[in-house]
Amino acid sequence: MTDSIILVEDLDHVYMKNTPLEHQALYSVNMTVARGECVAIIGHTGSGKSTLIQHLNGLQRPQKGRVVIDGLDLSQRKLDVRALRRKVGLVFQNPEDQIFEKLVGDDIAYGPLKQGLSIKEVTERAKWAMEVVGLSFADMKDRETFALSGGEKRKVALAGVLALRPEILVLDEPTAGLDPCSRKDLLERIRYLNQSENLTVVFVSHNMEEVAYLAHRVYVMANGRVVCEGTPRHVFGNADILHKYHIGMPETVEILHRLKRKGYAVNPEAYEVQETVQEILSILPAAGR
Amino acid sequence: MEKGLTVRRIVISGVLGAIAILLGVTRLGYIPVPTAAGNATIMHIPAVIGGIMEGWPVGMVIGLIFGVSSFLNATVPLFKDPLVAILPRLFIGVFAYLTYVGLRRVNPYFAIGAAGFIGSASNTILVLGMAVLRGYMTFGVAVGVAITNGLPEAVVSVIVTLAVVASWMNLGTRKKSKLSDDNAAGDK
Amino acid sequence: MASSFELTRNITVGQYLPTGSIIHRLDPRCKLAAFVILILGIAFCGTYGSNVLALILCTALFPLARIPIRYGLSGVKPAIPFILILAILQLLFYGKGFGTGGQTYFHYGFVTITSDSLRLVVVSAMRFVEVIFLSSVLTLSTSTTELTHGMEHLLMPLRKVGFPVHAFALIITIAVRFVPTFALEMEKMMKAQASRGAEFGTGSWWRIVQRTKDMFPIIIPLFNVALKRAEDLILAMEARCYTPTDERTTYKRYHASAKDVFAVVTSLVIVAVLFAIPV
Repeated sequence: MTDSIILVEDLDHVYMKNTPLEHQALYSVNMTVARGECVAIIGHTGSGKSTLIQHLNGLQRPQKGRVVIDGLDLSQRKLDVRALRRKVGLVFQNPEDQIFEKLVGDDIAYGPLKQGLSIKEVTERAKWAMEVVGLSFADMKDRETFALSGGEKRKVALAGVLALRPEILVLDEPTAGLDPCSRKDLLERIRYLNQSENLTVVFVSHNMEEVAYLAHRVYVMANGRVVCEGTPRHVFGNADILHKYHIGMPETVEILHRLKRKGYAVNPEAYEVQETVQEILSILPAAGR
Repeated sequence: MEKGLTVRRIVISGVLGAIAILLGVTRLGYIPVPTAAGNATIMHIPAVIGGIMEGWPVGMVIGLIFGVSSFLNATVPLFKDPLVAILPRLFIGVFAYLTYVGLRRVNPYFAIGAAGFIGSASNTILVLGMAVLRGYMTFGVAVGVAITNGLPEAVVSVIVTLAVVASWMNLGTRKKSKLSDDNAAGDK
Repeated sequence: MASSFELTRNITVGQYLPTGSIIHRLDPRCKLAAFVILILGIAFCGTYGSNVLALILCTALFPLARIPIRYGLSGVKPAIPFILILAILQLLFYGKGFGTGGQTYFHYGFVTITSDSLRLVVVSAMRFVEVIFLSSVLTLSTSTTELTHGMEHLLMPLRKVGFPVHAFALIITIAVRFVPTFALEMEKMMKAQASRGAEFGTGSWWRIVQRTKDMFPIIIPLFNVALKRAEDLILAMEARCYTPTDERTTYKRYHASAKDVFAVVTSLVIVAVLFAIPV
């Protein structure tokens, strides 16, 4: 990997070390993410996904192994954590809970203001962040945070992280609990950030349609280990792994796998809707010819 | 306000009691400001807030939970004495409630702040008073602690109580974001 | 650094250690009653003899409950520096103000050490260890459910004077139930705000207001999340027509046997003996 912005090598993590409740969450995990890539991490609850992504901005420091983010080595004791967190924006699950200011603009401005930027600079950043997530700066900045809808709150929280202008955006289940409409909207925004604003995106998800829509590459985690890694095409084509670790698949892949089991000659790696359509058409007699 | 015991009062007491316990067992209950002890505690604030929001019985129950929790978790002999750790805490929420009710017609914002101050002050005075009565410290020392520790703590209490209650009751005066002030000329 | 966010590690409330000992199997009502009797007894007895006896008895509870003594000691250990500093301070400054009675052992300038002030210091340190041992045995040998049930039953007589015993027990149950939930919530909040560049307690030392406001990003969401949860719970309870004042029955019934009564009587006898010891 020449231009990997995230490098995780042989990472272990043990919670509550030396107590009766000791629990190992990660076992020699390896991961690389290239600049500008969009990577999904999937796996069951308790598989170590959240622990892994908390290493990416220094909330957890490597106990064993190495984590290097854009040249910053997290094993080094004298690491500049603030510089790291400026580089990596981490959006937690249900981030709307972290909103604490009364007004939308103030909450988004909190992070940049903490960095000691001028109010002019902060305003510019907040404006960019709000527009990029689809909140009108002029209309929304003076709105009261408590009166927003769930989807809007989620966007405010996301804008609060984006206003830090990170190069890497890490999201933990970004769409969990949103209505289908807000979900679709948010996914489009994330895709835009990745493709047009050149942010490197790492996200955790349980929703395979989402993974299929966004990710260039997928890591499958189970019991603290990376059990499978590759393009969505490769991962979704591997029905055995998905079944073994109880990971769902996108509906498109599900159909293709079923057809294949019935003996039809389809390629289950064709996960994008158009491809799937082609695959199904190809086995229908006299159709599509 | 509805009289008597309601589901609401039971649940609010329990939930704020949980926060009182939590603040007691983690370091979040201490705000590092200059006091004799090196920090100001905010563990009594759930009792103050409970008293303001739901009346004195709720404040008293939360005070009791706070007291028992501080008794069980105490690391200094002073607070391993139930008469010092538990009894005085019952009155934090009661005094906060009385202050709030007495002043809310004047100005609700002011009443909340005053309740925060009085609640905190009653915690300081009653605990130290009990400590003197029980022979853990002399009157002079107690007065010293009350001034160096109790006063900053009361200030912290006013700030936090105002912020939490005003945010929940949705009171407040500022209607423009910080970002607006600078842009007002250009934007509008 | 790595563990600075692990709040749940410090929380030992309701740390139940099931060993099935005779102490574990005591009727929770009787166990709690005996505990309260002993704590009050210890709080009010101030002689050397009684505290030595009490300390021995409290230590003996550990083998009886088949709980390793280190569980009790782990509560004492962090307190040792406090106890020492406090003891020295008390010893140096109290002779004059308080324990003026008794024999004077030492007098120099404003420092006076009398037999009374020495006793105050030694007894309060011993009392502290005794109470830690007692409360550790209670919480390690009794689940929180048992504790709340026990408390509810013990308070029953207060119903005659109109005290809402059941509601009170429910409040305690809710409080204990939500502590771990809120701890996780708080941990998440601290991490989330740290990710946004929050720093806690870095403002100038004397700026109380600023330092307090530095905590807002955690405290305000914590209260908001808690109150939101409360609203959900209220709705859920009201939807099931919960009425706080109704007569209720419980799934679990307790029957006090001879050994339970014996435990309460023993604790009364112990307290009587403690008070009877003259020195």
